[in-house]
Amino acid sequence: MSDEENHFESKGDAGASKTYPQQAGTVRKNGYIVIKNRPCKVVEVSTSKTGKHGHAKCHFVGIDIFNGKKLEDIVPSSHNCDIPHVNRTDYQLIDISEDGFVSLLTENGNTKDDLRLPTDDNLLSQIKDGFAEGKDLVVSVMSAMGEEQICAVKDIGPKN
Amino acid sequence: MGLPREFHEQCRRSLELDYLKVFYCWARGAALSVTSKILDSDLAAPEVKVCTAAMRLMLQILTWEFQYNRKGTKSINHFSAGVRHDNALTNRTDCILVQPGLAWHDVLISSGDTVWLSNLYAALRQKFSPQSSWIDSPIAVSARKLLVQFCSVTGTIFPSDSGQSQEQYLVRLLSGIILWVEPSDAISKEIESGKSGSEMLDGCRALLAMATVTTPAAFDRLLKSIRPYGTLTLLSTLMGEVIKVLISQNSEEETWSWEARDILLDTWTALLMHSLQPLHITGGGISLPPEGAVAAANLFALIVDSELKAASASAYNDDSDSDYIHASISAMDERLSSYALIARAAIDVTVPLLTRLFTERVSRLHQGRGIVDPTETLEELYSLLLITGHVLADEGEGETPLVPDAIQRNFGDFLEADKHPVVLLSGSIIKFAEHSLDPDLRASFFSPRLMEAVIWFLSRWSPTYLMSLEETHDRNDDSLLSRGHQLPQNSRKTVANYFSEYSYGKFVLGTIVRVSIITFTSYPGENYLQGMTCYQLLHALVRQKNICVHLVALESWRELANAFAHEKMLFMLNASHQRSLAQTLVLSASGLGNSEAANQYVKDLMGHMTKYLVELSSRNDIRSISQQPDIILSITCSLERLRGAARASEPRMQKSIYEMGLSVLNAILVLLEVYKHESSVVYVLLKFVVAWVDAQITYLEAKETAAVVDFCMRLLQLYSSHNIGKISLSLSNSLLSDAKTEKYKDLRALLQLLSALCLKDLVDLSSDPVESEGTNISQVVFFGLHIVTPLISLELLKYPKLCHDYFSLLSHMLEVYPEMVGQLNNDAFSHVVETLSFGLHHQDSEVVNMCLKALRALASYHCKETAAGKVGLGSRASDPRNPSGGTENRIFSRFLQSLLQLLLFGDYSPDLVGAAADALFPMILCEQSLYQKLGNELIERQANPEFRLRLTNAFQALTSLNQLTCTLDRMNYQRFRKNLSNFLIEVRGFLRTK
Repeated sequence: MSDEENHFESKGDAGASKTYPQQAGTVRKNGYIVIKNRPCKVVEVSTSKTGKHGHAKCHFVGIDIFNGKKLEDIVPSSHNCDIPHVNRTDYQLIDISEDGFVSLLTENGNTKDDLRLPTDDNLLSQIKDGFAEGKDLVVSVMSAMGEEQICAVKDIGPKN
Repeated sequence: MGLPREFHEQCRRSLELDYLKVFYCWARGAALSVTSKILDSDLAAPEVKVCTAAMRLMLQILTWEFQYNRKGTKSINHFSAGVRHDNALTNRTDCILVQPGLAWHDVLISSGDTVWLSNLYAALRQKFSPQSSWIDSPIAVSARKLLVQFCSVTGTIFPSDSGQSQEQYLVRLLSGIILWVEPSDAISKEIESGKSGSEMLDGCRALLAMATVTTPAAFDRLLKSIRPYGTLTLLSTLMGEVIKVLISQNSEEETWSWEARDILLDTWTALLMHSLQPLHITGGGISLPPEGAVAAANLFALIVDSELKAASASAYNDDSDSDYIHASISAMDERLSSYALIARAAIDVTVPLLTRLFTERVSRLHQGRGIVDPTETLEELYSLLLITGHVLADEGEGETPLVPDAIQRNFGDFLEADKHPVVLLSGSIIKFAEHSLDPDLRASFFSPRLMEAVIWFLSRWSPTYLMSLEETHDRNDDSLLSRGHQLPQNSRKTVANYFSEYSYGKFVLGTIVRVSIITFTSYPGENYLQGMTCYQLLHALVRQKNICVHLVALESWRELANAFAHEKMLFMLNASHQRSLAQTLVLSASGLGNSEAANQYVKDLMGHMTKYLVELSSRNDIRSISQQPDIILSITCSLERLRGAARASEPRMQKSIYEMGLSVLNAILVLLEVYKHESSVVYVLLKFVVAWVDAQITYLEAKETAAVVDFCMRLLQLYSSHNIGKISLSLSNSLLSDAKTEKYKDLRALLQLLSALCLKDLVDLSSDPVESEGTNISQVVFFGLHIVTPLISLELLKYPKLCHDYFSLLSHMLEVYPEMVGQLNNDAFSHVVETLSFGLHHQDSEVVNMCLKALRALASYHCKETAAGKVGLGSRASDPRNPSGGTENRIFSRFLQSLLQLLLFGDYSPDLVGAAADALFPMILCEQSLYQKLGNELIERQANPEFRLRLTNAFQALTSLNQLTCTLDRMNYQRFRKNLSNFLIEVRGFLRTK
């Protein structure tokens, strides 16, 4: 299909290969989509027609994966829309600094110190308390379209 | 009110038997006494109010749900406090039957009430008709309602004289009511010019009531004694008038004509369903009288005309009101079924009519091509296709539908296939569908919407007509003929033969497949259309084996399979459609001659997908590329395809599907690790494994089983290690609830996987027993449950399906392997107990039932074991160190208490009593002293000495009646069930208060 030739075309300021084109009709609920240049998780897909004997169009409702805002878009279902490249990486938590930044251990032994603690209360307290209790914590960092955020934490047993 | 339920039932009974009629007579007396005054005064007179109130009361009494009219009183419903939802009156097209029984004959039938009321209404009507507001005045409304209610009187109140007295009774009513609806054209004009339509609507309702209580022939006769034509003709004219009004209005809001149309359609349905039902009893079927058939034919012509006009008028409506349309789809389907009933009542006229209309529209398309905007015609074709589909074929609902009776019966004369009206009609539509294969014609005519109708029609039509099996028809002939009814079997065969595998059928099948391919390739992104092709049309085709034989031989089918296996194109379909398509393609392999060919076919079809997954999962850079959306998409699609193929497992292809799954097992574990954060991929992975294990497990040899079981455990552990103790970010509520739903779906899949493993112990088709490789299914499943259970929270059990699956698996395990419970560790054991206690109080009676079954199994196991001198459940059932201590720790004492509590005081379905008895009996045996204690407590709490005595006796009877003994065998279970049911009937009446 001709659509595939556009694969590595860059979209806006998102940078090359941050997003991929995909036919709107194949985007499913729970997948990802770019709406108004924001990476979103699709929470609702509905289709309707442009006029009775026209073609189908998809109506997407997405939730911004970083700030939780709701966004909507309508795309003809045979057209392509952008799908963000969402990456998630696990890091071990080494330290929490007083100014709200965390220090994480990367796979190759370096540290990653440019991430803030999450704003979500529940997650924040889990991380802070767990760290204070000396638990071994692994945090998942989600990144898409040049943005990063801690999105989950998991206790992998007490420090020995 | 704090009174026992028995009391309420007695009140109800005495009201119905002793007082209702008296009240009715009083009301009637009151109404009669003021009649003459009303006729002399105006509408404001106080007597009018009296009369109105009296009539309202009479109406209320007649809507009473009569229960005690039949011989033998109906027993009280002891188990649930049922409330009758009497909204029947508010529902405009529902008609409640009034069946008060013979005792009311003197009051309702022979007293001449109906005549009095008809006359009263007629007189009032005469007097006040100049005032237009009169029709909606309270007295008029209640008089009409009462008259309609009179029309629905039926049942044993009429003497058994084959309906004659009922017919006379109805004729009397009809002679008054007919004025409300006739002459229909004049009335409809009046209503259009401002008069209220309520009288006319009530007339329609009366007709509906009459149609419900009579047969079509009797219904038609009703009017003949007062008019030169029958009631059916009246009905047809009336409905024709209503439809004319509907066409001319063409507005979206619901007006009186909408309502009238719905009521009248229901009337036709009631009549025509009557005429269908006796068919199975008498074999011949009572069709409408000839006059009625003509009426139906005329009406159908009008209906089609109105539908076409409505279609062309709405062709340019934009979809701003799409919500409205979605809501009315089911209503439309109901309407079309009623139309089809009417059409089939005069099938010899209506089929040629449809053919003519359809060909007209098609030629109009061709003539106007490129000159005129075809949209209106397209919309007309759309609705013609829907109507024709309903007329020609029934919905199979999973079974193979037969050619409708009306079509079988009425085309006796057509022995030449190519002139048979049904063949002509079907042929013209198929030919039209074929046009969609031409790119130019497709571009100009076949909009997605029209294509949907074409696919819908083909999928409705083909199970009935395409290559239908000759044998079933022959057998059917015999059974009908033996009942002494000569059916023109040649006619039916003519149609069947024409589309059989030996004649035109193969060609039609080829066309259908090619049209299907077109919907996949030429309508990108049209999910609804493609879904219909996958789920309805193609599924219906491969369901029949004789069709599969021809499918696999078709060039076009091979093209489809080839495109599916090797071309990128079909990856553009929605993933779940790809799953369905894979299933369909694999299923069609059953049409191949031998198992070798079928297995090779599946291998060729799926090999590409498995190879892709294996290669991808063994790449070194899998971690970094796996998150790319295009990779995720193609992995998802491939897995969905594998899942579809797995679901199509049949003995003939079993081997290749097993190998297909086996080759990707490692890849699946790798992908599960890589995509642990990508819930949508995880779900697809799990679902594939479930489908594959479920389909394969019973066929596997011991060695293969061991491998599969081992794989499943690794999968469970991996999943659990990823998810336990994980806390995710919850920035937005809807994302949070989404995450919960995803988790629920995963867990449900895991439970299904365990259930599938259980299957191995029940059905095993392999040559050697599983144990030969050291696999113990029960241990494995308990271990699996142990992994999964911590992931299930009470919050998640609120999902009904998960709850259901969980309890059915748990109760199955406890039933089949009660000995495992004794070996559980404390945590696991208390989890099981808590779960059962949660389930026992669940709203879903199915869940309660499963818990009761589990309890029965546990208690009877323990009973039997201890009786044999073994430990049974050991310390779980009774704590030997502290026998008198807290009952909380002893499983049966705890459940004995809560079950008794539930049985005596709770609300539950009567169906549960049997299961509860089965659980209660062994538990009483296990905990006899506690049972005594509880019984005594209950008796002492009873303040009323009479009730106390009854309760004591009832408890006595529960354990002693019917020679109940202390052994757990079938007889005793049965006796105890009987005893418990009697016990509850005896005591719940006064123990429960309301």
